[in-house]
Amino acid sequence: MSQYGWLILGFPLAGTVLIALTWKRLPARAHGVIGTAAIAGAFVCSVLALLKLQSLPSDQRQVVAVGWDYAKSVGVDAELTLLLDPLSIFMCLVVAGVSTLIHLYSTAYMASDEGFSRFFAYLNFFVFSMLLLVLAGNFLVLIVGWAFVGAASYLLISFYFRRTTATKAGIKAFVINVVGDVGLVLGTYFLFKHLHTLDFVKAFERTNETFTRNDGDLVAGCLLLLVGAFAKSAQVPLHTWLPDAMEGPTPVSALIHAATMVTAGVYLIARMYPLFEQAPAAADVGAVIGAATLLIAATIALVVTDLKRVIAYSTMSQIGYMIMAVSSAAYAAGLFHLLTHAFFKALLFMAAGSVISAMGGLQDLDKMGGFRKALPFTYGCMVVGGLALAGVPPFSGLFSKDEIIALEFERGGFHAVLGVIGYLGSFLTGVYTFRMIFRAFHNDPVPEAAELIRGHLAHHEVPVNPATGEEEDSEVGFPGPEHHIAEREPAMKVAMGALAVGAIGLGVLQVPGVTRVVHTFLEPTFADSRYYAELEPSTGSSWIGLAVGTVMALAGIALAYRLWVKDRRAPALIRARLAPVHAFLANKWYFDELIDLVVVRPSAWFGRFAANTFERLVVNGVLVDGTSGVVRAGSAAVRAIQSGFLRAYAALLLGGLTAVALYFLISAQ
Amino acid sequence: MSTTWYLLVSAVVFCIGAGGILVRRSPLVILLCLELMLNAANLALVAFSRANGNQDGQIFAVIVMVVAACEVAVGLGLIVAIYRRKLPVDVDELRELQG
Amino acid sequence: MTIHLALLLFAPLVFALIGAVAPPRATAPLALAGAVVALAFAVALVLDFDHTQRGLQYLTDDEWIPALGIHFKLGVDGLNLWLVGLTTLLFAATAVWTLVRPQERPRAWAFHMAVAETAVLGAFLAQDLALFVFFFDLMLVPFAFLLLGWGGPDRRPVTLKLMIYTLVGSLLMLAAAVATATLTAQASGGSITFVLADLAKVHLGQGTQRLLFAGFALAFLIKMPGLLVHGWMPDAYRQMPMPAIAVFSAVLSKVAAYGFLRIVLPLFPDATLDFQLVLMLLSVGGIVYGSAMAFTQTNLRLILGYSSLAQLAFITLGIFSLRPEGVQGSILQAVNHGLVVLPFFFIVLLASERAGGSEDIRDLGGLAFRGPVIATLALIVAFATLAIPGSANFAGEFFILLGAFKAYVALACLAFTGVVLASVYVLRAYIRTFHNRAGPRVEGGDLTGRDRLVLVPLVLAILAFGLYPQAALRDGEQAVGGASSAVLTGVRSVP
Repeated sequence: MSQYGWLILGFPLAGTVLIALTWKRLPARAHGVIGTAAIAGAFVCSVLALLKLQSLPSDQRQVVAVGWDYAKSVGVDAELTLLLDPLSIFMCLVVAGVSTLIHLYSTAYMASDEGFSRFFAYLNFFVFSMLLLVLAGNFLVLIVGWAFVGAASYLLISFYFRRTTATKAGIKAFVINVVGDVGLVLGTYFLFKHLHTLDFVKAFERTNETFTRNDGDLVAGCLLLLVGAFAKSAQVPLHTWLPDAMEGPTPVSALIHAATMVTAGVYLIARMYPLFEQAPAAADVGAVIGAATLLIAATIALVVTDLKRVIAYSTMSQIGYMIMAVSSAAYAAGLFHLLTHAFFKALLFMAAGSVISAMGGLQDLDKMGGFRKALPFTYGCMVVGGLALAGVPPFSGLFSKDEIIALEFERGGFHAVLGVIGYLGSFLTGVYTFRMIFRAFHNDPVPEAAELIRGHLAHHEVPVNPATGEEEDSEVGFPGPEHHIAEREPAMKVAMGALAVGAIGLGVLQVPGVTRVVHTFLEPTFADSRYYAELEPSTGSSWIGLAVGTVMALAGIALAYRLWVKDRRAPALIRARLAPVHAFLANKWYFDELIDLVVVRPSAWFGRFAANTFERLVVNGVLVDGTSGVVRAGSAAVRAIQSGFLRAYAALLLGGLTAVALYFLISAQ
Repeated sequence: MSTTWYLLVSAVVFCIGAGGILVRRSPLVILLCLELMLNAANLALVAFSRANGNQDGQIFAVIVMVVAACEVAVGLGLIVAIYRRKLPVDVDELRELQG
Repeated sequence: MTIHLALLLFAPLVFALIGAVAPPRATAPLALAGAVVALAFAVALVLDFDHTQRGLQYLTDDEWIPALGIHFKLGVDGLNLWLVGLTTLLFAATAVWTLVRPQERPRAWAFHMAVAETAVLGAFLAQDLALFVFFFDLMLVPFAFLLLGWGGPDRRPVTLKLMIYTLVGSLLMLAAAVATATLTAQASGGSITFVLADLAKVHLGQGTQRLLFAGFALAFLIKMPGLLVHGWMPDAYRQMPMPAIAVFSAVLSKVAAYGFLRIVLPLFPDATLDFQLVLMLLSVGGIVYGSAMAFTQTNLRLILGYSSLAQLAFITLGIFSLRPEGVQGSILQAVNHGLVVLPFFFIVLLASERAGGSEDIRDLGGLAFRGPVIATLALIVAFATLAIPGSANFAGEFFILLGAFKAYVALACLAFTGVVLASVYVLRAYIRTFHNRAGPRVEGGDLTGRDRLVLVPLVLAILAFGLYPQAALRDGEQAVGGASSAVLTGVRSVP
């Protein structure tokens, strides 16, 4: 069993190393094949691990694979351990499965890019890190995987490193993620202090006997773990990096910033459930923040005009649902939504990539329109993804999202409020999703669309940075000179097709009253949970919930249709009437400005103070000049004796001699 | 004759020499005064030697004379060199040792 | 297996002396041979070291100056084993560096480097206080000459400043060392001795300990440099020749950290406890201050200089947490920091060579486009420098901060800001050097085969150490862990 764990990690790592070592010797195409094959290998191993795991009896489905002592000394027991259980294998399947398809898509989408080999090396490294994260068997390995995905994300966000916008977005993402890492490490310290182990299995076994309910250090530790989760999963207020991360190539947005990495926070909370169940105060904070994020992100998505950023905010919003779910002990529902979301969100990003290619690299919704006829396959995929995201039957998103909401109501108390927020979010999701689709695909074709209908892909003579309109460095071969759309690339079509099938059909895994595949599969992991088994809404109420969810989503879609297809002057009128609200949303609730004010500027001020004032006045002024000043003053006094007058020296000598002689004469008596 | 008188003469000569060094500015005269002081010391040494009845002090005096001769040679050489380089022959003007 | 430490100690010097009389062509290879012989010795030491057996191993103990009770005593335990390995590795790398980038007046250069290596190794190996002081002061001599002979345009006043700063510390330490020996002899009633093991057996009075502690601590803090006594650092970093400053930053600062562990904690346990909070506050101040300074600087050398200040403050924080975790982390981190700083300086050299000699990030940029291999290797070094989890540097920081956390939670939380700031200044330096658009004078290609000889082995060492930091931790535990810890026993026995 444990060898599958190592193989799952080994394939992507070998892919990275192989590509890095042969980047000059092999043609770029070969690296695409190597990269994709490596991830496919990891997926196959995950499936084999799944089968093996299912063949074990339910109470033995928790296998720890021990590699070597990593940092095992003076009481710290950090070994390189992997934990294979239904939860980690479930995550491996999602990560490796979606990754394989996105690698496949990238072989075509990135084909004319100069950095093709580098892209696949980074992408493989990312998958390795993500799998390390989900397979980690102790806190230290988890932190390593956690930081590695952050590093890979940084590298891929600033993949087009000649753009200052990209490097800025990269460093922002990295630093916020380091804040998350710090939270995770500090949280680990709080837990380690009492549990005396870093190993997951041992730590969870000891939790209930070590900590009382809502023990102070436990809550502090869990809250700090949540900081890590929020930073990685772009939850308020540590979310500002995610929209900027859209500077990366579109497959990166699909893989890292939609399907896999950003869901790590969800996985973290689910993995740490014994801790959070013993510290309900921390779990409640998680649930509330998740709900707040889902609402805030959804409102911003209503006004953003950058195609990829709309999807990015919708990702934040959907992860808000998942965080809310796992923080409310609805583990299977949260993870089920993670699964369906990975499919339909990756699909949406891929479709968006195709549209952006058709626009010659531009991402601005204001400049798009009428691509329905020009890009029929992309349009189909986008609608499938959009319907799944909005939650319309029978698409997968409805079942997963409404299961979360139903469980919130079932949990009762203030969680019912969260459920209401969830329904509100459903409505907003319908609006912003279809606002994006209608504006990009419906109405009159823009010149690029018209050109494409005539069979020619639009090209811009001078490549420009889509974010700023700044002219690109002409010698740079990335983004490549050619663009690729799904309609002409079989690889892209296959990848999107497969995801579309998933987005449509995955709902069958968890139809209320009919199937509960995810729930049953994850049961051994959550066997000790206080809530998991009992939290089971009746079939009837579930179906009522589904109906309400559908109504909300359809209402949202209808509103979008009315505003952006039927009566197209209305949005401008509403915007004029609600100018302050629009400004508030368009400025993203002023979170960037807030962080700037509270964190960035004081730090910069302190740096300037240290460099200009403290270093000059205290270190060089008082300490260096002060010390040398004392020496100089002393030497000036002594130096006055050295007059150069020979006779003065002689007099001094005689005087001194006389004084000594007199002293001895007197003392002798 | 008691040693006191020798010592008295020696002290007087020493003081004349020391006073000369302090008041005169010509290096030549200072050198002369230095010789006076050395010879005052010689006188005292010989006197003690006689009083103690051994020859140690006289040997010291001979050595001092040799050293004095060397010193005069070096000193006069310096003075001649100063004169040749057209520097002022005045110790108050020659104060390169000032700190 | 017996390994004679004196052979390891004097191997570089002997080869340098041969090099001094050999023809000039043979100088650099001979210097390399000396460094490699020392490295081979050190590798043998690391492999042969028995971590299950406590106490010093491979002892050399001869009387040196019997009248003063000074011994020529060398020994290895978990504290200095890996530091000796680091020293020999980095000096070997510097010898290769000199081979691919010949210096002017190669014989004198090689001689000074060899003296430096012998002095550093001596300071690490010495088990006698007088011997330690001797080697500690000897370290300064070759670097003063290297700065004076090969430094930048302002080298003269800077040399003076460096000398005065470090000599003040050294003289205080000398006085404190003599006082320690005489006072110990008085207290025990025996004859005078400078052997550390004998000194540690006697318990000095608290007031005495405080004074002696201050003398040693000031010397070590100046050498590191610590916050407030780092006035010499910016100038010296700017003016020293690149390989010399690389070694200085990577190795010499560690001698100071090591001095705390070897001398101060065992000999002055009472004073250590008294000053624990002061030193920890100073360390946290150094972490925050050094990191903040590092992200305001534009000169790459100074960014590295201030980042070293912050890193050394981390090491001091770990030591003065007085917890086995913190001390273990400090030993590990001392090795790690040396391992990343030297290649980082080499990368700065490579970058400046491609930007018309400028070391200012405002003149750099875009190097990754024409130099992807340099950029990749630099990325690994940069990530290790900012202590990304998965690097050995992170393992070190994890232990250090765990120790600090157990001592004072609030201080540990403050120290974590240094972790965040490190990611800011390292990435800023990396991006402004390798990413963004090319600077005005940036040209030139990728890593050449000769330069690879310097950089690749060090990067491989960083990667290997990241995979298996346990190697150093296991050996460190020999000296730190357990009830009879060489470092912490004294501190623990104090009520």
